[in-house]
Amino acid sequence: MATVLDPAGAPAANEKRPAGRTQPTTPGGRRRHVPPLLAISPFYVLFAVFGAFPIVFSVYLSFQDWDGIGDMRYVGLKQYGWLLQDSVFWHSVLNTFEIWFLSTVPMLFLALVLAFLLHSQVRFAGAYRVAYFVPNVTSMVAMTVVFGSVFAQAGLANSALRAIGLDGVGWLSSEWGIKSSVSIMIIWRWVGYNALIFLAGLQAIPTEHFEAARVDGANSRQTLFRVVLPQLRPVVLFAAVTSTINGLQIFTESQVLFQSTDVGTTGGPGQEGMTIVLYLWQKAFKEHQFGYGAAMGWVLFAIIAVFTVINWRLVAGSDDDRRPGIAGLLRRKGARRGR
Amino acid sequence: MDQRTMSRRRLLGACLGSAGAGLLGLTGCGSAEGSASAGTDHLGLWYWKGSLSDKLLATARRGVPGVPGLKVRGSQIPDGDIDSKVRTSLAARAYVPDVTVVNNDNLATFFPDENEFLDLRELGAESVRDQYLEWKWKACFTPTGRMIGFPLDAGPTALYYRRDLFREAGLAYEPEDVAEEIPTWETFIAAGRTLRAKGPEKPYLVSNIGNVFQQVLLQSSRQFVDAGNRFIGDQEHIRRAWDLSVDILRQGLSARITDGTPDFNAAMSGGRIATMTTAVWATNGLKDTAPKTSGSWRLTTMPDGPANYGGSYMTLTRYCRDPEAGFAFLKWLLSPANQLKSYQEMALFPTTPAAYADPAMHEPDPFFGGQRPIDVFGPAAEKAPVVYFSPYEESANTPFFQELTNVETLGKNPERAWRDAVNTAETTLSRVGVS
Repeated sequence: MATVLDPAGAPAANEKRPAGRTQPTTPGGRRRHVPPLLAISPFYVLFAVFGAFPIVFSVYLSFQDWDGIGDMRYVGLKQYGWLLQDSVFWHSVLNTFEIWFLSTVPMLFLALVLAFLLHSQVRFAGAYRVAYFVPNVTSMVAMTVVFGSVFAQAGLANSALRAIGLDGVGWLSSEWGIKSSVSIMIIWRWVGYNALIFLAGLQAIPTEHFEAARVDGANSRQTLFRVVLPQLRPVVLFAAVTSTINGLQIFTESQVLFQSTDVGTTGGPGQEGMTIVLYLWQKAFKEHQFGYGAAMGWVLFAIIAVFTVINWRLVAGSDDDRRPGIAGLLRRKGARRGR
Repeated sequence: MDQRTMSRRRLLGACLGSAGAGLLGLTGCGSAEGSASAGTDHLGLWYWKGSLSDKLLATARRGVPGVPGLKVRGSQIPDGDIDSKVRTSLAARAYVPDVTVVNNDNLATFFPDENEFLDLRELGAESVRDQYLEWKWKACFTPTGRMIGFPLDAGPTALYYRRDLFREAGLAYEPEDVAEEIPTWETFIAAGRTLRAKGPEKPYLVSNIGNVFQQVLLQSSRQFVDAGNRFIGDQEHIRRAWDLSVDILRQGLSARITDGTPDFNAAMSGGRIATMTTAVWATNGLKDTAPKTSGSWRLTTMPDGPANYGGSYMTLTRYCRDPEAGFAFLKWLLSPANQLKSYQEMALFPTTPAAYADPAMHEPDPFFGGQRPIDVFGPAAEKAPVVYFSPYEESANTPFFQELTNVETLGKNPERAWRDAVNTAETTLSRVGVS
């Protein structure tokens, strides 16, 4: 708080620190920290074993050639070199981005609209919230069986299309059919989750803002875009970042949708449903090339890191007024119109 | 208030205690001797549902007959997980099962780490050799001559065909006649043309060409990589399988449907597909998929002769606490008499030819119009070729199956697809040391 009020707050805080450091030397000082540290130890011990260690180990592994049992062989940067020349890998990167874009953009938009509707006075709001969230906790494997029959050649989706006089689509046998099917499954699964996040953000907006907008004669659409969205900036940012991270790790939908009795066909025809993580899984856990899989994991990490930063910049903008980001632009626009 | 603090403190204490215990347990792994059954009175066995007889396992749990004091306790592992679980425990050198079931496709992937498994010849396996199928026995050996697997079940193949559809199209329709009329893949394709041209419902010959490719492949003693770790996937035996498959597609004889999908189920029950080229274990799936077609199906010899598709092995890991007892258990569980029981209970096809003569295996099957499946599968199991599978088969054949799907579903040019498959396989294999 002091740093906000006083520009010289930062150095002041630094000055305090040495005093803090002397504290443990007082009798029983260092020991005083032991019980709370022990109390929180279940988290950091488990994290060290199941989180930190695998992360560090996978860095090491990405420089090795290992089949999972025998001796490791150091290969330097070869795995990364192979990966960069692997056309299937680049295809899977492209697929992942296409599916991510096809799913995330409509999904966030739908979620926002849903949240807005849920936020207005509707009956049985609680029941709706539960209903929208249920897909997120449903077993994906079970759902894929259902979607498998929806997207079959003679399935529900094509029957519906034919009923309104359109031609059937090769949902699981054409490039964009495959990507749409996977995207629809992702939208179905995540839209409710993101709607709840948005709803929480909406509820944090003071009702005065809505009332003021209504008094000024704003309709629902105007309220959504001019009042709600700018206020939701941090929530939209959170949703966009988590959707990016999740979206670039798409796996289950593709894996189970195209799991067939045929040997080794993963990702469907033309490998159009092959995502980065599915390829990683195929290489590491089906073909036992763990070094290659680890290298792929780290390249994926780099890609996600880059895109999270881009997202951040795009949605939140920087403090620099010349780069306000989407939310900043909306807010500015809203402010200008409001004047 | 005070009491509440106490209980909270106690709760924290309990958390800490359990975390500590967990840690102790974790560090404990390294010091144990490695077997999952260490410190118990039984041997530990990992298997997946349906891979072994539940009744015989229940007996083994109480005590293996003929081996005083030996108990074996089976743990069911989901079949998709068992391979990675075995690998994980072997890598960790802890909680390794004494005995485990290994799928047909996976046994060879353990060849580079063959020392993780006991050589069963050293435990006297040769003494029972003549009870088992020749090719299955040979498949238990690594290229260096260690016997790391023991024959569990077999997957002899046959041509499943619709008698009614064959008859309507004016083709030979009794099993012996069909075998005579369709001795090769070329005559098989010719029959497919007749079905499309003269059958009233114009049925397709096969559901997809991947199945044919798979079967032609299994009829060859050589696969994609030879015992000297050389890539041979660009040679004549693979090319022939490829060309036959593409020919079936070109002539419009494939329904172009992936097996196991809702479209496949609909096509099978609707009589739109006239044959299936697959193994004995596919029978139950077919009965579930298309119960209405019961009585219309028949079995006959596969074009170009029988092969083996699937089937499993059992292994003893090097952490097995009592190798002698472990092998005695295998000998008991997989003896001709018990394989017969497993067949009756679980439809596991025996690898012991002596069982084929038993009346219990000669039951007529109404699904096949009263035909006795053993009359086709028995000789097929005895005539299957000896095949060498390398540890890298999956890496090598994945691009070929993938490209066949591309040809079939997306209409990719077959020549380009072949070149892409060969290139992808070569690149992938070069990374694991296959040239």
